[in-house]
Amino acid sequence: MSRKLRLGLYALLCVLCVPFVFPTWWMVTSSVKPISDIFAFPPALVPSRFDFSTYGRVFELQPFGQQYLNSLYIAAVVTAGTMAVAAMAGYAFARIRFPGQNVLFLVVLVGLLIPSEVTIVPLFQMFHTAGLTDTHWPLILVPILGAPSVLATFIMRQFFITLPGELEEAARVDGLGRFGTFFRVALPLSRSALGAVAIFTFLHSWNLYLEPIVFLSTPSKFTLPQALTQFVDAYGSPLWNVQLSAATMTALPILVVFVLAQRQFIEGLAHTGLKG
Amino acid sequence: MAATDLLDRVAVRAATRARPFWTIPRRDALVGYLLISPQLVGSALFVLLPLGLVVYYSLQEWNVLASTFEYVGGANYAKLLADPNMGQVLTGTALFSVGLVVLNLTLALSLAILLNQRLAGTTFFRTLFFSPVLVSLVAWTIVWQFLLQQDGGVNGLLGVVGVEGPNWLRGETTALLSVIVVQVVKNVGLNMVLFLAALQGVPRQLYEAAQLDGAGAWTRFARITVPQISPTILLTSIITVVGSLQVFAQIAVLTQGGPGMSTTVLVYYLYQQAFQFRHLGYGAALSVLLFLIVAALTLLQWRLRRKWVFHES
Amino acid sequence: MKAPGKLAALSLTALLAVTACGGEAAPAAQGPQPLRMSIWTSNEAHLKLFNEIAAEYRKSHPQVGEITFDPIPFENYTTTLTTQIAGGNAPDLAWILENSAPDFVGSGALVPLKSKIENAGELVPAATRLWERDGELYAYPFSTSPFGVFVNTDLVKAAGQKTPRELMKAGQWDWQHANEINKAVAAKGKNGLTILNFDYKAWDNLATVWQGWGAKAWSDDGGTCQFNAPEMVEAMTFLHKAIFTDKSMPGPGTAVDFFSGDTSMAVAQISRAAMLEDATFKWDLVPLPAGPKGEYAVIGQAGIGVLKKSPRAEQATDFLTYFTNAANSAKLAAYFPPARGSVLTADTMAKTSPMLNGDQLQEVVVDGIQKGVVKPSHTGQAELAQTARAALDPLWKPDADVKAVLDGVCAKIQPLLGG
Repeated sequence: MSRKLRLGLYALLCVLCVPFVFPTWWMVTSSVKPISDIFAFPPALVPSRFDFSTYGRVFELQPFGQQYLNSLYIAAVVTAGTMAVAAMAGYAFARIRFPGQNVLFLVVLVGLLIPSEVTIVPLFQMFHTAGLTDTHWPLILVPILGAPSVLATFIMRQFFITLPGELEEAARVDGLGRFGTFFRVALPLSRSALGAVAIFTFLHSWNLYLEPIVFLSTPSKFTLPQALTQFVDAYGSPLWNVQLSAATMTALPILVVFVLAQRQFIEGLAHTGLKG
Repeated sequence: MAATDLLDRVAVRAATRARPFWTIPRRDALVGYLLISPQLVGSALFVLLPLGLVVYYSLQEWNVLASTFEYVGGANYAKLLADPNMGQVLTGTALFSVGLVVLNLTLALSLAILLNQRLAGTTFFRTLFFSPVLVSLVAWTIVWQFLLQQDGGVNGLLGVVGVEGPNWLRGETTALLSVIVVQVVKNVGLNMVLFLAALQGVPRQLYEAAQLDGAGAWTRFARITVPQISPTILLTSIITVVGSLQVFAQIAVLTQGGPGMSTTVLVYYLYQQAFQFRHLGYGAALSVLLFLIVAALTLLQWRLRRKWVFHES
Repeated sequence: MKAPGKLAALSLTALLAVTACGGEAAPAAQGPQPLRMSIWTSNEAHLKLFNEIAAEYRKSHPQVGEITFDPIPFENYTTTLTTQIAGGNAPDLAWILENSAPDFVGSGALVPLKSKIENAGELVPAATRLWERDGELYAYPFSTSPFGVFVNTDLVKAAGQKTPRELMKAGQWDWQHANEINKAVAAKGKNGLTILNFDYKAWDNLATVWQGWGAKAWSDDGGTCQFNAPEMVEAMTFLHKAIFTDKSMPGPGTAVDFFSGDTSMAVAQISRAAMLEDATFKWDLVPLPAGPKGEYAVIGQAGIGVLKKSPRAEQATDFLTYFTNAANSAKLAAYFPPARGSVLTADTMAKTSPMLNGDQLQEVVVDGIQKGVVKPSHTGQAELAQTARAALDPLWKPDADVKAVLDGVCAKIQPLLGG
């Protein structure tokens, strides 16, 4: 590659990444700006003075630590559960022939097509009658078994379909049954697709907004996106710098984990990748 | 695992009996049903049943506050056909979805190709482009709300290069564009990574052979790259199309459907009708419409896949 | 947590839900009954006070179990509350926003309260009007917060202008003079007047201005659109000129925060005074300026109602009686301006509102509540508000034709007003 082209590519990348980086930068720096700086024009790239007191207020106004744990554990359980459900269903739909397969797959696919706004009222009624509102159960059960997991199943099916057919034959020669083939051969091969599913699922659960608002009513049970909207004064006006501090705290650790684990995240995904 | 092994063994033993009932196809079918059962039960309980209820609600006039619930037949659907806002809402939805899907997919693929070059520091840039995916959606939109003000960060940056930016969220076209861009920047990283993974899976030999045959860059892209990564294109386009019709929180925070009705897409209109205006019956009818649109589009993509997607014969 | 049991219950429920739509409330159980009140504040000082009152109440009412206060984010308050009601999980008591008052009061969703509220006769009539129907009271107006104008006197003086208080003494505190001040401040590169929470979307806040012109969103019976009446056109023309010609009000798409000190005036409810605790500038609170039709006041309100759907409505009503009695009203007055005549004096208010002085309390709060009108509200308010918002958007452009836009608003909302 010529030097000129190389420089051009770097310049292009640098310009392109501005809208990706600037908002996060603004969020992090504004969280320690005095409130008048937040409204300054042109926006200050670096705070005129640093004010970390807002970070303390985040914890005073809300049981923020508890809410953080809630979000983390719900996302973890949902991710693990979805990976299991989706891997099984995806494998079966891709590699096993059974009567009604196509119809059942279509039935499952319906879940892919439903925005959560559509079914929230009936779901709320069902969980309410089961006495499970204001618990984390709806936020765990619905994503693992309901509409959100369908995307995961779909990804897994698309992956398993690309595995060569000799795989099963070889496994059978080795004396493995269907389950054995699934657990010992197919599943280990699908690490990358499972990685993609894990990222998708974790982020989906982590970002869930409408459902927690509808299902949860006790602050100590809240999840983070819901908590973010609670940093307001008694009349509903946002406490901007506190809100931005809380937002920063929800984003930064994930960003750091991602940067550290990015090899596993993306490269692992890429090398054994969802092959074309 | 123990239980499943046991099942396997039972099945195997059953199969080796004199008159085998458990033939291989039958065993396979049983395993298949077992493996899909959690997903199937979940779908029945958390997708089909609620969906059925929504269809049922769409035939009712439901006043939550007065606790009245009465059958009105097709009245909500008649209202839908006569709704003067419908034209604007559907046009807005189409513009929004097309804009979002096109921008998202082309940007994702371009970025993936850029970052697939042998270039030092691609890991670093990859992280940067992916990072918005990890920022909580609510936080992301709150930040952009500030940045898109008349005197906000976006116009501040534009001012540096001597451009006077518009009042983004107050113009009908710019508001729609803003919501699209905010959404694309937030999520394009996911598609980029999926494309990148697919690109790295394309065998190098194919390119080398094509180069020997004298194929130019564009030919190589069109003849090798696109077919090779077609399953990923199918996957990302389905996810993105479906996702584009479900964008809600961003619109709620950034524009609340305005100015005018310019950013009132179908899902937001549905939310307004059902939850804000408390027309739950009418909202249910709109839900059914949204569901049908998404289903039709997905079915279309699924049907077309045989024409261009590898591994689907 | 017995998950399998719950799951079984859930599947059973799923079947039941098909037949039992509308979500019936659970049958009352034996033993102490818990109560739940939906609120939109999650302020710890507020919650502490509520819990103290609840604990006191339970001492004398052993049959009442735990009393919980459920904060719902303000942004989505009415929406979430309605979803809970639709899902069959109505709270026993709920705070109600003024803009959904006609919907809640008119639908019969609330329990009548008039005979239950302690000494209901002393409630200021201006404060209860919104919550009444056919002479019956359906929610207790626990927070009646007048709008005033917060003034950054430092900025006003720096622009070489007379302060609003000086103008008041001279009998000149009206919108024309206010506009001149803000024009001068804006010419110095600062922001002029902002109407809090309006943000060129929540137009009902503009009532704090157009009331001075005697304008109304719709007729008193709610049946006729008045957006294109001459008073309204005049008031809106004044606003349009202030925004786009005089630049004395920050334009659309500009974030403004009075409390950070860059803005000369803010129309806001007096409770916002709490935000000025650490203010780095000198400020004052004055009544709304007079309009062409003279002096006026506007109040914002919130009520507490008991939901009929609650299986414990009787206990809930009894608790509300206690929660709002004269003694507790006085305590609540620390955060929520009261509608009770006995508590509504500058003296009692001064004890609980240390940020404001006697004059400010008398002029803005006490007088304001007595003569105030509420912001426009109507049954189906949410849909009206959205429709009018969309139709008003073209007004917020420099070259807008005010009368034509307002005619357009009426064309859109008249069908919703029922005619």
